[in-house]
Amino acid sequence: MIEVSDLLIEIGEFELKRINLFVKEGEYFCILGPTGSGKTILLESIAGIYRPDMGSILINRHNVTDLLPKDRNISVVYQDFMLFPNMNIRDNIGFGLKYKGYEKSVIEDKVEKTAEFLGISHLLDRYPSTLSGGEKQRTAIARAIITEPDLLLLDEPLYALDPGTKARLRQELLRIHQLKKTTTIHVTHSFEGAFALADRIAIMHGGKIHQVGTPDEVFRKPNSAFVASFVGVENLFHGTSVIKDDQSEILINGLIIISNALKSGNVSVSIRPEDILISKDPIHSSAQNSFSGVLTEITRMRATVNLVIDAVIPFRVVLTKRAYDDMGLYVGSWVYLTFKASATHII
Amino acid sequence: MQRNGFKYANIILMLLLSLFIFTLIFEIVTHADPLSLIANIISPEIQFAIHLSLLTSVISTFMCILITIPVSYSLARYDFHGKAIINTLLDLPMALPPIVAGLGLLLIFGTTSFGSYLADAGLKFVFTVPGIIMAQFAVNVSLMLRIMRSTFEGINPRYEHVAQTLGCTPFQAFFRTTLPLSKNGMLAGSVITWSRGMGEFGAVLMLAGATRMKTETLPIALYLNISSGELDLAIAAASILILISGITLYLFERKGGVAKLC
Repeated sequence: MIEVSDLLIEIGEFELKRINLFVKEGEYFCILGPTGSGKTILLESIAGIYRPDMGSILINRHNVTDLLPKDRNISVVYQDFMLFPNMNIRDNIGFGLKYKGYEKSVIEDKVEKTAEFLGISHLLDRYPSTLSGGEKQRTAIARAIITEPDLLLLDEPLYALDPGTKARLRQELLRIHQLKKTTTIHVTHSFEGAFALADRIAIMHGGKIHQVGTPDEVFRKPNSAFVASFVGVENLFHGTSVIKDDQSEILINGLIIISNALKSGNVSVSIRPEDILISKDPIHSSAQNSFSGVLTEITRMRATVNLVIDAVIPFRVVLTKRAYDDMGLYVGSWVYLTFKASATHII
Repeated sequence: MQRNGFKYANIILMLLLSLFIFTLIFEIVTHADPLSLIANIISPEIQFAIHLSLLTSVISTFMCILITIPVSYSLARYDFHGKAIINTLLDLPMALPPIVAGLGLLLIFGTTSFGSYLADAGLKFVFTVPGIIMAQFAVNVSLMLRIMRSTFEGINPRYEHVAQTLGCTPFQAFFRTTLPLSKNGMLAGSVITWSRGMGEFGAVLMLAGATRMKTETLPIALYLNISSGELDLAIAAASILILISGITLYLFERKGGVAKLC
């Protein structure tokens, strides 16, 4: 359980303005914000790297505000891995145990087990510079969880990875969290990433927290224009997926969306607004997803028009100005939405 | 055609400069015949100068390393008021003529009550071997500082952050991560500081004086023997200094990839 109260801190050009935050025991909590929002400083303040000018930080009801990082029982994983280049993978992973006073044989045993848990046993005698990005991040995660911290702090851990590795490691983070139940604070600028992982998220901007809630709440009911524009660009939904005939059928609030990506169980789905075709009459095409709904919102941008269509779940659609003018749409129009199974992404 | 003319003019000047430097060194090492050069190098006076130069420059280099690690770390890692002024001040000795620095040292240790207090306590710097070390230290510490500062600036502070969260005190974290990672910069800095210590003349002359077989380092030996017309001994001292420069340049180029001069 983490309680941050009235945290005030100023470092160079960055500042945190009276941050209040409550993270429940065992929760996966994402702090989401654009570059320069102060989210990394908040993370590093919780870690004890910076001393706050005001306010307090409690970890499991202990006031740690004045403690050194080493006395907080926390671990950090950074986006750029920060593996110690002068040590091999074995020594990197075992580093924390050594300083926490474990015996050599215990350390060796734990390192082997943790490496196996993360699928990097074969890398133990290599040096960081010879590893791929994904392998480096697995090592960094191993080094962080081996000490069994009360709190795991992740600073954009997936940012520097290629898309395939990113997806695999995201699953890995979920798996680790489900198994270990370590309270986790994950800082990211990608709403998509947070949506798939977080129990709750906080949206941060300009050194302030703007909104806290479940991803769904924040996505459906953004409490400010900033939050809306920050999270509102993608169609993101939670549902349950069943695989049928080499396709996934995802049930979302009674609506069934077809995807070519294969994954069953609880999933998050995203459809890019520009992949959705909109028409006033039903279209007969090879696209497998076709719904109808009421146009509820029209926002004119410089070159495009953003629409929200309520078809049981709210879809965001982007049209070119020309297409919008040609169709003669207004709030309350009944429209048809069509998109391909290949445009449905499962996160 | 015009482009070629420009190119050839540049290349000719480059070759002329190379020839100039080559001749300059060639003249010194070939002035005496090899046998008498060796005989002069192993003469008691030059042997004394070699030993004294080695001893003093190694000690002053260690002093430079010890003091510049914490100071350059402060400059690289901490933000504070007046940092720009302190930076400039600490860089100043690099631009200052060594003989001026030597004058300052002579005034501190020769004329102030602080100097006489140290002398009474047994720490005499004026016209002594410790004076040579102090002079080398004062002139070279800025260069070492600059190299170490840029070395530390090039090392991500997050290595230490991670080490601290994993159980290290701030000092342990520095000692286990940043310090070993600064190895190349420190080696490059030490080699160039040592080499400049070997060759330091102006400040040494002012503070430690030029006493034969007492404060006679290699550059002082060169100066004393030229003054008294012993050209061969002067050349022997100069040849050793040239050899050291060559070694230094080689080591520096090999280790200095991370910390070029600036």
